[in-house]
Amino acid sequence: MAVTKLVGARVTRVEDPRFLCGQARYVEGIQLPGMLHIAYVRSAHAHARILAVDAKQAEALPGVHRVFTGADIASLGPMGQPFRADVFPHPVFKQCVWPCLATGKVRYVGEPIAAVLADTRYIAEDAAELVEVQYDPLPAVIDPEAALLPGAALLHEEFGDNVVMKVSGGGGDADAALRGAALVVRDRFRTNRHCAMPMEGRATLAAPGPDGDLTLWTSTQTPHLVRSRVAAIMGFPEQKLRVVGPDVGGGFGLKCHVFAEEVLACFFAREVGRPVKWIEDRREHFLGSFHAKDLVVDCEMGFDADGTLLGMRADIIGDLGAYSADPWPSPFEALQLAAALPGPYRVRHYAYDVRCVCTNKTTLSVYRGVGLPAAVLVQEQLMDVAARKLGLDPAEIRRRNLIAPSEFPYDSITGLHYDSSSSSDALEKGLAAIDYDGFRARQRAAREQGRLLGIGICTYIEMTTFGTHYWAPLGIEHSAYESATVRFDAQGGVTLSVGTFSHGQGHHTTYAQMLADELGIAIEDVRFEQGDTSATAYGWGTWGSRSVVAGGGAVVGAARKVRDKMMRIASHVLEVAPEDLEIAPGKIVVKGAPQRSLAVREIARIAVYSSWRLPPGEDPGLEATQYYDPPPVTFANATHIAEVEIDPGTGRVEIPRYLVVEDCGVMINPRIVEAQVVGGIAQGLGNALYEHHLYDENGQLLTTSLMDYLVPTAADVPDVRVEHIETPTPLTVNGVKGMGEGGSIGAPAAVLNAVADALAPFGASVRELPLHPERVWRLIHESGSDTRA
Amino acid sequence: MKPPAFDYVCARSLDEAIDALGRRPGEAKILAGGQSLTPMLNFRLAHPGMLVDINRIPGIDAIRDDDGGVRIGTLARHRAIEVSDSIRKKFPILTAAAAHVGHLAIRNRGTFGGSIAHADPAAEWPMLALLLDAQIEAKGPQGARTIPAREFFTTFLTTALGDAEILTEVKLPALPAKTGWGFEELSRRPGDFALAAVAAIVTLDGKTIKDARISMGGVGGTPLRAPGAEALLRGKPADAALFEQAGKKAAEESDPSNDVHATADYRRHLVSVLTRRALTSAAEKAAQG
Repeated sequence: MAVTKLVGARVTRVEDPRFLCGQARYVEGIQLPGMLHIAYVRSAHAHARILAVDAKQAEALPGVHRVFTGADIASLGPMGQPFRADVFPHPVFKQCVWPCLATGKVRYVGEPIAAVLADTRYIAEDAAELVEVQYDPLPAVIDPEAALLPGAALLHEEFGDNVVMKVSGGGGDADAALRGAALVVRDRFRTNRHCAMPMEGRATLAAPGPDGDLTLWTSTQTPHLVRSRVAAIMGFPEQKLRVVGPDVGGGFGLKCHVFAEEVLACFFAREVGRPVKWIEDRREHFLGSFHAKDLVVDCEMGFDADGTLLGMRADIIGDLGAYSADPWPSPFEALQLAAALPGPYRVRHYAYDVRCVCTNKTTLSVYRGVGLPAAVLVQEQLMDVAARKLGLDPAEIRRRNLIAPSEFPYDSITGLHYDSSSSSDALEKGLAAIDYDGFRARQRAAREQGRLLGIGICTYIEMTTFGTHYWAPLGIEHSAYESATVRFDAQGGVTLSVGTFSHGQGHHTTYAQMLADELGIAIEDVRFEQGDTSATAYGWGTWGSRSVVAGGGAVVGAARKVRDKMMRIASHVLEVAPEDLEIAPGKIVVKGAPQRSLAVREIARIAVYSSWRLPPGEDPGLEATQYYDPPPVTFANATHIAEVEIDPGTGRVEIPRYLVVEDCGVMINPRIVEAQVVGGIAQGLGNALYEHHLYDENGQLLTTSLMDYLVPTAADVPDVRVEHIETPTPLTVNGVKGMGEGGSIGAPAAVLNAVADALAPFGASVRELPLHPERVWRLIHESGSDTRA
Repeated sequence: MKPPAFDYVCARSLDEAIDALGRRPGEAKILAGGQSLTPMLNFRLAHPGMLVDINRIPGIDAIRDDDGGVRIGTLARHRAIEVSDSIRKKFPILTAAAAHVGHLAIRNRGTFGGSIAHADPAAEWPMLALLLDAQIEAKGPQGARTIPAREFFTTFLTTALGDAEILTEVKLPALPAKTGWGFEELSRRPGDFALAAVAAIVTLDGKTIKDARISMGGVGGTPLRAPGAEALLRGKPADAALFEQAGKKAAEESDPSNDVHATADYRRHLVSVLTRRALTSAAEKAAQG
């Protein structure tokens, strides 16, 4: 086995210098000769018929090359097909038609109607202002519940109503369990529509090649998936389309979709025979990039008198906005919420109903944590409400309901196979680390002085990885396996090509640590290649906290194939049986006689350069490719504990302390794990305190700048203490579990629970985010208590 | 988010800038730090035919002592004010408020005169100019004049400056002895525009309030003084009940509106809390001084 043991070490990220020193290369940094720039004309109305699009004035502006409208696209061959066919042929899902450029009708403010191609982006934007669109406005449907009412305006007339998906599920007998409960707590939660907001928005650059081929550089998390989908939608041969993901400045799930702008860039490049570039600006990002987390959840939970959870029921409405995303369908957020709602607790009776509705708002899809942040928020706040009513401490009610370590593996009521977890250990470790009992004493003393302190606990179990066999039963057409190629050169250097796509996660470092242990090489020996479909085997990119499990499994698999060959070569040269050899740093040594060895570099030289020295019958070269389909799901878990202090005069929330105990199985690099946790918490705090997309009654988005839509900056994130538990899963290579999204899942519930705890003396019911100062102040004020400070 | 086309003049003297502005009346905009103008250009909310860049005019960024007060040149960067010893000594309220002006990168670039001339009602410098009874000096084709801060801010993002007039310097007159200050601002995040901000100065004579001034930001079309609350305080002994009462009065004198961050009602409530806190802090400092 490996003896260098870099797996588990706090290795500094090897990719940091390129990002910190401005050496990274994003789509915007790529300049090609003859390149044109695209500006999109986007709908000014939430819902309207398009009567006419007049581009004459725009086309007359010097520097404008061409203006495309929806009619141009519809009239041109396969591109006239709707931008999606059957990516999610769920028997109860109505798949809407989404043209790349609107024709006939627009359904949200920001929907692309026309594209201007010009010599510069400045000219393109000047010309876009000259494109005249005549609209016949229709009533806009903004509220998802209003969309359900009879007589509501219809977004997609062909469906007959605005409900595109309606499913029920669960197990046991929830009605009976709730009827027999000593206490039933119920409430309605409305989660705040927000979005991924990566520093780099979307970006596309498409260029025609000499043989009728096309190259698309795009800011994506999934280059191969983009290649397959764009080729299919364009009716273009996939082998002639090369998709390259250069450095990407954040994705968070947004960029695992395929966008009309990617299809259009390829189409325009082919039509005009020149490279065409589109860089999404921030305003377009607000309007046109997918939103997330717009859910209405009515939930009730029944307990017996000692706080044992007996059963639960949920009615979930998912607001999908105008269309459904490709190829991860928009209902997924609400469906995942429903599946995850029982969480880490023993639940034997559960029933849910999910309705997904269309409204005249930006399309919604997956964003970090997907349905989990809302599921955990509902579950964890109702746990606290029940504890308060039963006179139990929030920690105690969790102790009584968490699935015990001895009960794993555990099959949840929604059919999830929890292979392993440390929920109760994580809770106890967290309570001890933050001195929970000591906090309660401080809280009592502070209340005497009129200060409002609160503490919030959130325990959750998190789905990660999502292999092919997670999707297949849902009716999803595509897969989710992974691939890796390990290739030695004549000097002993290694090129690692992978199908995952690091866009901030530090895969180069993580995979190199794994490779080093398998092959006896150093981290700096590894060159890392990703994101270019012409250089890597087919893979599914990075999303769903999958890479260390799926990509890591492929990397180790490929490495072990190569290692077997290295052993055979060493065995031949050293004249020792392979089972008597082992890997040491930089060499293969004879067990018990380490002075007898063969350098890894020498083995590479033999295999790649001097192949006449190979054992008889051995093929030249030292490389291997491994495809690997990971388990359907792996489960990480964590406890988050947030402490807050609220200014009673203004409602402002401060977070003096924040603690996480996380368990993602075996850690490859604790430093990267911790950074991922803290990054996720920053986003979770955005959800909890700042981010909210607001629409007016006409469907105009009111939050279209970073002055109106607030995200936490580095200065707004408190110090976070991260503690670890490592519970390996038997399902994966190395016992790893997915991680990455967890921070964003735990933070909203932990903060909401802490605020509710601080405001408990006022009898305030805290159910909505973000907890901005006015909302918190009203929770205090409208309870009728004294607000002086 | 690319600005529409505009002509650009880089002025080397105030006269050259005034001349350039005069040639395109109503159409030209002054570019100082670009803190507010550049985003407005990129959002295409402003379509000026010409920008007159004043960044290379020498000598208009000085901070000078003047008769117990200070004079701040129009091009003084926020950061220069934040770190000025002279200002820290004479107007520590400016030093404290500077930390609320955007973030460090913005403070390195944005200018004092630019902020006052832009007249955002939620920005710190306009409300402090009003509090400190600043004398705002301007130069135009007709020569130089001085405009008292109370007459300078006319309505939302609008000032008494003429089309071709440039704000050149702001004079802050000396404060009397036994004067303390308080500055209270609530924003969603540090560096954001204020949901509401209140600045106060209190001059004591023993335990009695000899004079008090209150200025409010983010709660009206312009920064506002609270004359009713100020009158209520004068001649009375400084105590918590009085400050509470003055806070309520100031809230009545504010004129906030709704936006995506907060309602008018909440902002009015903030005025009363922040005024009470600012006065309490100001009176404590005055008693110590």
